[in-house]
Amino acid sequence: MKHFTKLAIAAVVAGITAGSAIAQELYAPNLAYRTGPFAATGIPLMNGQADYLAMLNARDGGVGGVPVNAEECETGYSTEKGVECYEKTKDRSIVTQPWSTGITLQVLPKTNIDMIPILAPGYGFSPMMDGKTFQWAFNAPAGYWDAADMIIQFIEGQGDLNGKKVAFLHLDHPFGKEPLPVLEAAAEAKGFELVPIPVGLKEMQNQSAQWLQIRRERPDYVVMWGWGAMNAGAITEAVKTKFPMENMIGVWWSGHDADLAIVGDKGKGYKSISWSFPNADAPVMADIQKHVIDAGKSQTNDAEMSGVFYGRGIIISAILAEGIASAQAHFGTGEINAEQLRWGLENINMTEERINELGLNGMVAPFSTSCGNHTGHSGGWMLEWDGAKFVKVSDHLMPNVDSYAELANAKAAEYAEANAPWPVNEDCGG
Amino acid sequence: MLYRTAGQFKTSYAKDQALFPIKQDAFLLGVILVFAWVIFPLTASEFTFQTLLIPILIYSLTAMGLNILTGYAGQLSLGTAAFMGVGAYACYKMITIMPWMNPIVAILLSGVFSAGVGVAFGIPSLRIKGFYLAIATLAAQFFLVWLFEKWAWLYNYNASGAIQVPNLEMFGVYVAGPQASSVVQYYVVLFIVCLLTMVCINLTRGTLGRTWKATRDMDIAAELIGINLMKSKLTAFAVSSYIVGVSGALFVFMWRGAAEPNLFDIPLSFRILFIAIIGGLGSIMGNYLGAILIVGLPVVLNLLPNALGIPIDSATVEHLNIMIVGSLIVFFLIVEPHGLAQLWRLIREKLIIWPFPH
Repeated sequence: MKHFTKLAIAAVVAGITAGSAIAQELYAPNLAYRTGPFAATGIPLMNGQADYLAMLNARDGGVGGVPVNAEECETGYSTEKGVECYEKTKDRSIVTQPWSTGITLQVLPKTNIDMIPILAPGYGFSPMMDGKTFQWAFNAPAGYWDAADMIIQFIEGQGDLNGKKVAFLHLDHPFGKEPLPVLEAAAEAKGFELVPIPVGLKEMQNQSAQWLQIRRERPDYVVMWGWGAMNAGAITEAVKTKFPMENMIGVWWSGHDADLAIVGDKGKGYKSISWSFPNADAPVMADIQKHVIDAGKSQTNDAEMSGVFYGRGIIISAILAEGIASAQAHFGTGEINAEQLRWGLENINMTEERINELGLNGMVAPFSTSCGNHTGHSGGWMLEWDGAKFVKVSDHLMPNVDSYAELANAKAAEYAEANAPWPVNEDCGG
Repeated sequence: MLYRTAGQFKTSYAKDQALFPIKQDAFLLGVILVFAWVIFPLTASEFTFQTLLIPILIYSLTAMGLNILTGYAGQLSLGTAAFMGVGAYACYKMITIMPWMNPIVAILLSGVFSAGVGVAFGIPSLRIKGFYLAIATLAAQFFLVWLFEKWAWLYNYNASGAIQVPNLEMFGVYVAGPQASSVVQYYVVLFIVCLLTMVCINLTRGTLGRTWKATRDMDIAAELIGINLMKSKLTAFAVSSYIVGVSGALFVFMWRGAAEPNLFDIPLSFRILFIAIIGGLGSIMGNYLGAILIVGLPVVLNLLPNALGIPIDSATVEHLNIMIVGSLIVFFLIVEPHGLAQLWRLIREKLIIWPFPH
């Protein structure tokens, strides 16, 4: 009992001190998923994000001298929990990082009312690149349509596509269907046959039916839009059916080191398009090692730190920090609010020099956002599994944004109409 | 003491058959209603509305629909989420085809569609019972979710395959969609839930409820005393699916705002079945108690460490939460296998005869 009283007093005291110690800070919560069916992919991403911000807090005292409070709210990738987290954090937060398509779908229509920017780097709804319509949503540095276009470009670089057959193995879910319009248009323009093969959420781990179909169809390439358990399932099936790995290309969420490590050498040649690259020699990694890992403030480990997803987490936080920094410079205040951060995220200019200055050498390609362009279209690299890790096998690829800009505008207008009254940023030229 | 019934005399049959023959019950309900209609809306924050009040009400209504079928008529069903989906998609189609329609009318009408589907899938119940019937309703679950995915007309050919609630106005106030305020949505939900609860209480007390209970307790005996089993079972399926369908429409239109087909998959069915079982099969109030335990408690538990100032990882809280809620479910079921409603019934009984034990 005595022990309990002590504990209770300690808790109360901690509560009071925590309450009174509201110093300057930027509250940027993250709707993390370290539990649930997608935890294996979530943990390295979350660790990368948390560690980068923790490093900034330790090294520079935050961004522009104001510490960033990157509190995590656990969603387990469940939409219901995600909405709970959103409601819990929205009063104070300057940004929403929803992390799942389901949560993004829920939160996106509310942004015009709650006025909190959504930062969804490399995921979410592709037409979000139209910043005029989606004033509060950002999917910098690249969207799914960019990925589809770059993959087609890469395949084309290996020979004419005319008369070829491309199987599109995708999760039967809003995320998996996202690139279909662009791939269909490309198939028509370039004369290849596109065979969409959906994988139901229940079939993720057992894709024998899908791979039987792939064997029957004999496609020249398999393009994969997978997530979570689907990736490992597809890669092991591909190895089992002896599909030539070098002709299998995944989106950036299908390039998780742990999925490939299961098959090891047999996965050699598997490719994944990516807008981020884990450069172990980048100065930022040394800083994280010094300020965060050695200080015991991280949950990560060595194997994870060299992986693609950890590096991607770092870039995501770097984009957020850059948005904060540009807003701080413009508004001349350290403690920016959500509306100012929106301006900041709209005016990111990640030049080669800036990337090196931040110590992110070679981890992301240069890009810049504007009020009409919320994606930035950094392009990316084709990564290839060499049996132990992912390596770059292409030059920097740039998406052909013009080819689907019209489609994006049409889809954005459709969305705005379905959600009328939907305010559009008329001051915006692009 | 508090529940003393001495001095409450019934002098007519009507009085004896009243919904609440004991004054204290009526008083207690009155207090709860005042809280629900006046005090909560005045004091609740946006967070409380969106994560506690609205979801608890909607889940209670769904569980009540299932309870009519499983608790009162004894037909085990595992397809609840799919019937919710039918209600939600029906409401979405009605609203997008006829945008002038009153949202509340649309929500109440959408139950008709799920009732139809429910009756169709209830036909096997005339030949099979128990676990075998559960498998037949499981077929409904798989088939309907598959249909929501593949039938593009249902979601107006949206590229994402999900349905999104448009902004809907009623008398100049937004009641659904992102523009709607939580208070308005809460009142709409509360109104429909109160209305359907009243209907359910009266249905289960009347002829229909008695035929259902007779069917549940022993269908051969029920048939021998002249109850038409087909009528009894199919009305149970119809009424149950109607309520479940309405709650599905509320679920998407008044709370979630958007829905993907796999939202209506089997985990949701199980969740509702758990609410009904833990709350108490064959009871109306149990659904509310069950929903508070299963839907509300985790949210409150998630808030605790922060409120107490205990620095703890969000992921750890989630793990702890799952363990605590799980052990509470086991605890309550061991203490009272017939659910929370029975627990309350026993407490009330004891209070009435207090201070004399049995």
